[in-house]
Amino acid sequence: MSDKVNVYINSKRYQAIKGEPLLNVARRNRVDIPALCYEESLKPYGACRLCLVDVKEGAKKGLTTSCTLACSEGLSVATNTDEIKRHRKVLFELYLSQAPNSEKIKDMAARYGVFSTRFELKHQENDKLNSKCVLCGLCVRTCNEIMGAGVINFIGRGHNTKINTPYFESSDVCLGCRACLEVCPTKAITIEDRSNIRIMASWSYTEVELKKCTVCGKYYAPEKLDAKVGSLFYYRDKDAKLKNMCPECRKKYAAKKHTLIMEGEAEKYAK
Amino acid sequence: MDKRYIDEILSKYNEPSGKLLGILEDIQEKEKYLSKEALKYVSEKIGVSFSQIYSIATFYSFFNLQPVGEHIISVCMGTACHVRGAVEILKNVEYLLGVGVDESTEDGKFFLTTEDKHFSVNTARCFGCCSMAPVIRIDDKIYGYVKIKDLPKILKEYGWDKK
Ligand code: SF4
Ligand code: FES
Ligand code: FES
Repeated sequence: MSDKVNVYINSKRYQAIKGEPLLNVARRNRVDIPALCYEESLKPYGACRLCLVDVKEGAKKGLTTSCTLACSEGLSVATNTDEIKRHRKVLFELYLSQAPNSEKIKDMAARYGVFSTRFELKHQENDKLNSKCVLCGLCVRTCNEIMGAGVINFIGRGHNTKINTPYFESSDVCLGCRACLEVCPTKAITIEDRSNIRIMASWSYTEVELKKCTVCGKYYAPEKLDAKVGSLFYYRDKDAKLKNMCPECRKKYAAKKHTLIMEGEAEKYAK
Repeated sequence: MDKRYIDEILSKYNEPSGKLLGILEDIQEKEKYLSKEALKYVSEKIGVSFSQIYSIATFYSFFNLQPVGEHIISVCMGTACHVRGAVEILKNVEYLLGVGVDESTEDGKFFLTTEDKHFSVNTARCFGCCSMAPVIRIDDKIYGYVKIKDLPKILKEYGWDKK
């Protein structure tokens, strides 16, 4: 499985695992390649086109996306040719027009010397993603492939493509996990907690109930999320008390309990 | 809603999750459009998420997500038809039927239905007969080389009787 190969980025040699995306190798070694739609825990998607590299030695020479480029012995790429810079400039201009409100995109474009766009700014009225979404699909893929919830997806196509819940109605399958917000490269998604309710404002104001910590009384996690993944870690200790505690109280409780075990007084906490 | 017909459709496919397009096509053929209830039911039955099914249904201009009129007029907005005046054709069809201009729904689909539910108008991207551009389709019949002045005559074939 983990066959090692040598690859070359800008003529410098790096070790890689055979078959892994070249973008991984670059990231691991802090070689700068811009990218919006890649996340190591998901299958490569090749949608944003920003991670272009020029293959000098390899099965197929020429420009390709490095997130979908599998490492093989002797693979050699350049990351900063004039041709790449030209393409990148157009891509950043398109992203500036697609997500005119996104500071993340502005910063990123500026880092590559792009400060303005020739294209019309796509300010959308009442856009639940605040005219910040670049349609990279990371939230959709995380929600579907990792969380297995399938709350959101692409809607429509082309210029009118949006991301939201079916029929733009609040969802009854959302776990309220916030994974979409975590992966979003442009910080387009809005989620608010109001005491015992988490409001997924971007996803048609879906409301999710939060669970209260039995010790400190803080609301700490969505009920549904807890029901789905909670048991994975609470029961490692086979201690039911852990089940309804927030992470902080759980930590304190576990630390105390283990100290007492070491002191031979575990039964004080057994109950 | 009577869902038995959906069960019947599903039973024709031995591996339903991979045959989604065929299933949706069959449902539309029967009901003329895909209702929310139908999509939800299919989702539960074949274990594909509702959001995924909705995504597919909104991707293809072929699928109708709203109840449709008796006759469906599709105005081709493909490149060839566009160049040969499809925009004007569409405007005139809308004018003749008295339906609003430029109303498209939030899912990006363009769909208009007359008040008496006799006609629905939508747009399509190329029927594959560009040589006859501009093209419109009414139900299953294709009309090529359409001229604005021919539109009333064509519509009359389908019971249009205004003016
Ligand atoms: S909301 Fe964020 S993560 Fe989702 S597609 Fe848009 S930019 Fe990507
Ligand atoms: S990261 Fe490679 S195409 Fe988006
Ligand atoms: S563009 Fe209208 S039929 Fe091809």
